[in-house]
Amino acid sequence: MSSSTIQVKASTSPVGQVSTSGLVWQMARRDILTLFRTPWIIISRSMAFIIQLFVFAYFISGLVNYPGFFEYYAVGSVVAMVASISFIIGYDIFEEAEEGLLDYLLTLPVSRRQFIIGRALGGAVRSMIYIIPMFIIVALLEKFVNPVSIIAAVLDLFLLAFGVTGLSITMAVTVRSANRFDVTLALLDLAVTRVSTALYPLTKLPLYVRPIAPYSPVTFASTTVYDALVLTSLNAADLAGLIAFVAVFIVLGATIYFRRLEGGVYA
Amino acid sequence: MISFEKAGKRFGTLDAVKDFTLEIRDQEILGLLGPNGAGKTTLMLMMGTVYRPTSGAISVNGLDVVKHPNDVRKLIGIAFQDPRVDGILGAFDVLNWHLKMTTTLGKEERAERVEQVLRAVDLWDARKKRTWLMSGGMRKKVEDCKVLAQRPSIAVFDEPTAFLDVPSRLLMWKMIRELRDQGSTVIVATNMMDEAERLSERVAIVNRGKLVAIDSPEKLKSTTKGGEVLELTVGVGQQFPRELLAEFSEVQDVTQTENKVSVYLTSGRLLLPKIVETLTNRGVKIDSVHLKEVTLEDVFLNYTGQSLD
Ligand SMILES: Nc1ncnc2c1ncn2[C@@H]1O[C@H](COP(=O)(O)OP(=O)(O)OP(=O)(O)O)[C@@H](O)[C@H]1O
Ligand SMILES: [Mg+2]
Repeated sequence: MSSSTIQVKASTSPVGQVSTSGLVWQMARRDILTLFRTPWIIISRSMAFIIQLFVFAYFISGLVNYPGFFEYYAVGSVVAMVASISFIIGYDIFEEAEEGLLDYLLTLPVSRRQFIIGRALGGAVRSMIYIIPMFIIVALLEKFVNPVSIIAAVLDLFLLAFGVTGLSITMAVTVRSANRFDVTLALLDLAVTRVSTALYPLTKLPLYVRPIAPYSPVTFASTTVYDALVLTSLNAADLAGLIAFVAVFIVLGATIYFRRLEGGVYA
Repeated sequence: MISFEKAGKRFGTLDAVKDFTLEIRDQEILGLLGPNGAGKTTLMLMMGTVYRPTSGAISVNGLDVVKHPNDVRKLIGIAFQDPRVDGILGAFDVLNWHLKMTTTLGKEERAERVEQVLRAVDLWDARKKRTWLMSGGMRKKVEDCKVLAQRPSIAVFDEPTAFLDVPSRLLMWKMIRELRDQGSTVIVATNMMDEAERLSERVAIVNRGKLVAIDSPEKLKSTTKGGEVLELTVGVGQQFPRELLAEFSEVQDVTQTENKVSVYLTSGRLLLPKIVETLTNRGVKIDSVHLKEVTLEDVFLNYTGQSLD
């Protein structure tokens, strides 16, 4: 066995031409499919959502002196739910790293950038599928019928899902200790969703969170979604904030962190 | 061709691989033999772009693994030491997805290849069983099958027959050889002597992250100090004519304890009949002859100062 001129015969698989978009989509599809393997999660979460909305929100709207609070809370709940669910992908990737599956995924002919975009896309689409039942419930309750408003709201939600997924993945590949990761992600989830005006208007929030709450991506998303659905108007400033959030965590996350990414938890 | 040039990987303060220089030829089967923790897996994962070398350079078909990782990944298929399969999926889906990601094969061609390898390793009937419910050996076969079905131009197997029963080991070796015959360059990491010896054309012995020897198993054995030992039992009370054996250049030394004579040779197989004939002609009565060959294990021991068992 000597010369390096021996050509690899045609029987070896031609691999050069696997299309980029195809690979990104395959990565995304993998994450989306995990959702359908456990459909009862969607069902039970939707049930919990309905219960919370009716019992808790009706109760709370009596306490919070704010006109149209139920509507505000219902829309905000969907937005907060999208954010919380989008964080899950980070746990998935962290678990893959611990199990070693990440090493395998990193040997596939997918660039690191395709990898993060594919995973973020999969995570975002997954969150969207997940909240569809809840979105429908709220739309029916509040009689949102304007198709343009609904499309705009769905796009806003998707942007939020995409950005949070990117943030979550970035954390998963940056924080390498399991304990620290769980705590970091839980805190981030809490900070991003609770320190926002999704569920309560700014004036009803505790004083110490008021200075920061307007800058939470969840605030950007809930304001744009609320404005689209309830006021049928476009909130350009908050939309810009939302887009900036996505850009930072998808584009920067993909290029900066993933250039460093190696497999294995301790690598 | 794959080349490691003074490649190194440092984890914290530990040099898992150090100053590693080696060229792997196209379409050869190279065995990486080394004890636990020698750095075999680290070497392969650096080549496979999972780990980034912390010093030196590695190139695959002229492509630097750090500068062109995406191109390198297209050439390589790695079967991991401990199976890296999505536990919730069955064997068929695991392999099918792997081919989707690594080849341009259409749906039917993929199904065909997957069926072919799964039938070959006797897992076709279990193709839908979730891999996390499989036995260790079955799961390992699925891992190996990924690369066998993929047929990459560079196929890497990390301890491909760990957990496999004897017939399965032989089968796996056969399939790996066939993969090479179809055009792949094959790298096999192992800590099993027989695997290194029977499967590879060249064996690279790795110890503590360093390359300590590289050659064909035969060459490695023949260059090992001590060589082979011919043990003769001669009739009791006989004087053994040592000087007779001095005429053979392969004979390095002769020792005698009572009626047991040890003849140290560089290569004994061919010489054995001649020696017996010469002695018999001189009237030496030989009761028994035993040729102790150098094993790869002796070579290993010699280079690493440690035994594998
Ligand atoms: N991700 C990692 N982080 C820290 N140390 C590591 C990592 N991977 C490997 N090591 C260390 O590097 C050394 C070489 O490990 P490696 O897995 O390459 O050995 P090996 O030759 O494959 O051994 P085995 O035969 O047991 O599989 C070991 O000391 C190991 O502990
Ligand atoms: Mg190993």
